[in-house]
Order: sequence, then C-alpha cells, then structure tokens
Amino acid sequence: MTLTFSLAHLMGGILLLCGFLLLSQRRLAAMITLYQVQAFTLAAAAFWQGYAQSEVNLYLTGLITLALKAVLLPLGLREIVRRFNLTRAVETAMPMALSMLLGVGLIGIAVLVVLPTTMNAVSLTREDLAIALSVVLLGLLVMTSRRSALAQIIGFLSTENGLVLAAIGMPGMPFVAEFSVAMLVLLAFLVVGVFLLRIREHFDTLDVTGIEDIERRGR
Amino acid sequence: MVGLPGQGMHVRLDALSLLFLCILGPQVLASAVAGMRGSVTFWVFVLGMVLALAAGDAFTLIFGFELMSAASWLLVLQGDQKPAAFYITIAVFSAVCLIPAVFLPAGSVAFVLIVLGTGAKAGLAPLHSWLPKAHPAPPAGVSAVMSGGMVKVALYVLIRYAFMVLAPAAQPWWGVVLIVAGIASVVIGALRAMLEVEMKTMLACSTVEHVGLIAVGLGIALRAKAMGDPALAALGLQAALLCAVAHALFKPLLFLGAGEVKHAVGTTSLNWLGGLMRGQPRLGGLMLLGAAGMAALPLGPGFAPEFLLLHAVIGAAATGGILARIGFTAALAALGLGAALALGAAVRLIGIGFLGRPRSLHAAAAEDGRRGPLIGMALLAGLMLPVALLPSLVLAALVPVVRLLAPQAQLQALAYAPLPLVLLAFIIAAAAGFVLQRWGVRGTREVAAWNGGFGRAPAWLPFGDPATQPSATGFAEPVARAIARGVLGRDATDPAELYLMDPLRLLHLRGVRVAERIRRATIRERLAFVFAALVLFLLALGLAEGG
Repeated sequence: MTLTFSLAHLMGGILLLCGFLLLSQRRLAAMITLYQVQAFTLAAAAFWQGYAQSEVNLYLTGLITLALKAVLLPLGLREIVRRFNLTRAVETAMPMALSMLLGVGLIGIAVLVVLPTTMNAVSLTREDLAIALSVVLLGLLVMTSRRSALAQIIGFLSTENGLVLAAIGMPGMPFVAEFSVAMLVLLAFLVVGVFLLRIREHFDTLDVTGIEDIERRGR
Repeated sequence: MVGLPGQGMHVRLDALSLLFLCILGPQVLASAVAGMRGSVTFWVFVLGMVLALAAGDAFTLIFGFELMSAASWLLVLQGDQKPAAFYITIAVFSAVCLIPAVFLPAGSVAFVLIVLGTGAKAGLAPLHSWLPKAHPAPPAGVSAVMSGGMVKVALYVLIRYAFMVLAPAAQPWWGVVLIVAGIASVVIGALRAMLEVEMKTMLACSTVEHVGLIAVGLGIALRAKAMGDPALAALGLQAALLCAVAHALFKPLLFLGAGEVKHAVGTTSLNWLGGLMRGQPRLGGLMLLGAAGMAALPLGPGFAPEFLLLHAVIGAAATGGILARIGFTAALAALGLGAALALGAAVRLIGIGFLGRPRSLHAAAAEDGRRGPLIGMALLAGLMLPVALLPSLVLAALVPVVRLLAPQAQLQALAYAPLPLVLLAFIIAAAAGFVLQRWGVRGTREVAAWNGGFGRAPAWLPFGDPATQPSATGFAEPVARAIARGVLGRDATDPAELYLMDPLRLLHLRGVRVAERIRRATIRERLAFVFAALVLFLLALGLAEGG
C-alpha cells in the first residue's frame, strides 16, 4: 500500500514539476518537450493506478494518453513549429519571476482548498486532487501569461493533463469520461490548428497581439 | 417561472395600487387616442408602469420600474440625443439607489436610498434638473404619460415603502426630509415654469412643482404618523393623493395640447406664438381648462389639493418645537410663493400663447387641432370636472387608501364645496344681468373701442406690429429680476445642475468608459479575468473551509 501511495505521489509530483517548468520556459521547443514528459508521466501514472486498482479501463486510458498525448500531439506541435519557423521565437507577456511567484501562490491555493474541503475522503485521493488542481491552475496561468498562440495551446493541453490526473486518481471513475476528454482535446487541437493556419495566412505571424490590435481599431 | 430563483413573480392589488392604476388609466388612454397606439415601445413603457404598480414582491417592482426606465429612455432617444444622455444618467443613479434599498432591512438607510432613488425619478429637488430637459424631448403623447404617469409611479414606490414596508422603523425626521425637498421643488419648479420660454419645458418645470407639492403632503403625513397625530396624517395624505389625481389629469392634457400647437405652428416657443385662440378655438378652450388646473385657481381641479395642503401645513405648524413652528411657517410662505408663480406661469401660457395677436405667420395660419388629440384632451377635461367640482366625492373614494397607509387616521370632511360656489356665482351673475337689463342706463354713449388690452401702436408703426407686444421673456422679466437671480444665480441656471447633475454625469461617463473597456478586452484579458475570478472563488472557499 505504501508503495502505491509513494509512486502515485511521485508521478503526481513530476507532473506538477513539469507544469511549473512550463511557466519558466521561454522557447517553444522546450515547452513541447516538457509537455511530452508530462504526458509520458501521466501515462505511467495511469498504468500504475490501473495495476493498483486492478482496472482494465485505466490501462486503456494510459494507452490513449501514451499514443495521443505523448507521441502524436508533440509530433504535430513540432511540425507546426518547424513549418512556421518558430524554433527561436518565444516571449512572455509577464516577467518570468512574477509568473513563477504566481505559480507558487496558485499551488498554495490549491492545497488550501482541497485539503480542508475533502477532510473525510481517503488520503490518497486528497493529495492527488491537490496536485491535479495545481496542474490545472498552472496550465491556466500559462494560457493567460503567454502571447504566442502555440504557447497558449500548450497551456491548455497541460490543463487537460491535470484533469486526467484527477480522474485516474479516483477509484471507480468511468472510462467514458476520460475518452470524451481525450477526444475533446483532439478536437480542440484540430480546431486550433486550422485557426493557426488561418492566422498564418493572413498576418504572417503566430503572435495574437496583431489580432488584438486590428480588433481594437476595427471597433 | 420568471423571477428570483424559488420565489417567482407575484402580482397583488390593494387600494393603493388600484388608485395609482386609476390615475394611470385615463392618460394612457388619452395618449393612445392622440396617436401613440402604434408604438411598441410606448406599450412596453406602459407595461413596465403597470407591472411596477401591481407588483406583489420587491423583484417584480424593480423589474417593472426598470422596464419603465429603459422603455422611456428609448422613447426620449427617439426625440433627441442629449436629453437622453441626461436621462440615462439619472435612471442609472435611481436604479443604483433603489435596487439595494428594496432588499435592505427596514431602517433609515433604506429610507434614504428609497428617497434618493424615487426622488431622482420623480424630479424631486435637488435631483430635478434633468426633468425639464428630458420630458419635453419625446413626442407629446409620451411626454404626457412621462409627466403625468411616470413620476406618479416613482411616487407610488416612495409611498409604498415609506408608509407600508418601512413603517415599523418610521421616524419623524423622514417626513422632514420629504418636506424640505418638496418645498425646494415647489419654489424652483414654479420659478422656472415662470421663466421658461418653451411651452413643453415650462410644463415640465410645473411638473417639478407639483411633485414638490405631493412630497410636502407626504412628508407632513409621514411626520405626523411617526409622531402619533392621526388627524394631521390623514390631512397630509388626502392633500398629496388628491394632488396626484388632479395633476395626472391636467398635465397630460396640457402636454397633448402643446404637441398640437407644435403640429400646427411648428414651434412651441411662446415668443413666436400668440393669437392661437382665434385659429384653434377648441384647443385653446381645452388648454384654458388645463391651465386653470395648473394654476390651482378656485373651481379648478388644482385648488382643492392646494387648499388641503395649506391646511395641513398650518396644522403642522402647531406641532413640534419652536424650530418646527418657524420652519412650517416659512414653508407656508414658500408654498404661497409657489402658488403665485404657478398662477403667473399659467397666465403667461394662455395670455402670451393663445391671446393677443400672432407673432409669426405660422401662428397666424394655425388651424385647429387634429381629431385624435382633441378627443384625448376632451376625455381628460371631462374627467377633470368631477375632480374640480366634487372633490369631496373623490376624497371619499380615497378613504380606503388613506386607511391603508395610516390605519388610525381620523378623516374630516372637506370645508370647500365648489358646486354650491358655482351655483352661487351663477345666481349672482344672473341677478346682476337682470338688474342691468331692468334698471340699467338706456340710450347710447360714445366711448373709445376696447381693443383687447393692446396699448396704442407707437408713432413709427402706425398699423402696429405684432412683435411689439410684450414677449414671454419680457413678461417674465420682473420675476427674473426680483426673485430668480437670487434663487437661481445670475444667469438663471439651476444650482442643482452645476453642483449635482454635472458630477453625476461625469461619474456616469466614467462608468460607461470602464464598461466599454471591459467590452473591448482582448482574448487574453478575458481569459485572465475569468482565471482571476476562479482563483478568487477558490481562495474564498479555502479560507472559509479552513476557518
């Protein structure tokens, strides 16, 4: 039992660390790599939970995560980066130290919320939930603090990883929910991909500030 | 079900709601007949007013009230843009005061907010300076219902809350607040009505004056009720409610008439009118009736409420400490001043606008009013007759309302009976005619022909020029010199405008800018906003659970 807990917590910790590092990375390629690491860890966590809870569904979840998020999505993202020649391009909208500080604060809030509200639940779930909520919040912070559309997408995907982490930590969570979440991410990826291509066509950049400017002038 | 979750919306009618619905009915009918029946916004406006009057709970009341505000704003906007900006400022201010007030526990804070919110909407001083701008802007039918009906709805909310909902916490100084604001409205409204040249603006100023009269009556009743003087409370309520009934009849009539003048002449500026009585005899006759009501002349509909109100003020002057006695005596003087100025304004309206010689070709060529408005005005004039000649009957109909508002009220009979007065005057006139006929001087005498009050034409204008008649501005000049510059400042602008309306408008503008900034926020800013809200909620949840 203790091994189950410690391994699950370790993997959750790695996920959180990846989410935190995403905040600090200025280069897109490094962000994609970090996301890939996060997805691999998530897949491993799903397999481990499947073994610990002896649930076949969780193995399936792990497989989907591995195939879609750890392999396919990063490949696609790297393709975008290469095609648009974005290897060097990264900038943040917020000073990095500030965003790191905010990230620490968010983790604090997540712990502050989850631990007291779930006083009666099993201890495994409680800490897992705190970690998952932290990952979600960090992903949202990445989405709001970056200007580049691609970085915002990575933040969104990281948020989704946090959701899946919460789902696999819960014993008895039905498989359907995870499948739909995975499909949702894929759809979002496709939509945003089309969106990016259109941005490229019209403005020759992936920076959203241009759109904001035009939007402002248009009104 | 629409409404607050778990509560819904309720409609309930009691004596007070019924009274105000009856006040609203004739003028809406008259405006509809006069040509507003095709406008959807007008009917939404009416629906809002009816909903506010018939509301059974606070949410429905606010919903109807704000529906009324929004629809009337659209109607003002159809007329002119600048007044609409004024109007929306004051409507938002009123909503900001009213919405928290109706959900607050009974107490002085709630009362002050209610007075601010409804007073702003009713045009009670010092929040009145928008009314002479906004009420004349829309078409005449809408002006009529705004002036005669919308301010009554605001006063209804005031009465409902001051006398019923907040009654357990009532204190005498609540009434004093209303009396002071009412006296200020009476003086400023009557003074400006005397000075304004535009006919519709003048009528709107007169509305401010009548709202002030109603507020004084309500204030006396509220104070007397809190001090345990049921007879005085009944008197004040009777005066206020009767004034509301009378005003709701003659003011829409006058506004509809002003619309017809605009239609026939192309302007309502008194300086360009004159002699309309000749070209528009029916319209002129109806306007004369309305003006008699506005001036509170004896035998007119406005006299009985003013008579009752003066009685109430005299009665109140005998209560309370030395300060109250001096204050009520001063209030009596101010009411007298207001009545005199109102009479002057009415005389000016008829004398300059409808008598004399036309000051412009358009006025000379004016034809009588169209059929619809004339029918609407005749309807209101017909309803004015019982109010004017049988006020005791109307007061008897008001008894349930007074009993509802002041349960221990002791009602007294009205010591003013116009119908016997009319009969007496008729008998005297008939007798005088008979005496003249029987014993008068026979034979002929040569005298200079009376030329309708005109002076001799100056030597350089042997045939006379209509423009040499006294103008509306000239007629008001003595009053402007004697009183207005002292009360309103040198260039006769309202002090309330400078010190209250302008800062309010700036505040409103700033609020609009913030709202616009939020509306134009970029995608990232919106995301950040939602994210910050989420984090805040989480933090609150965590702190609440942890604590």
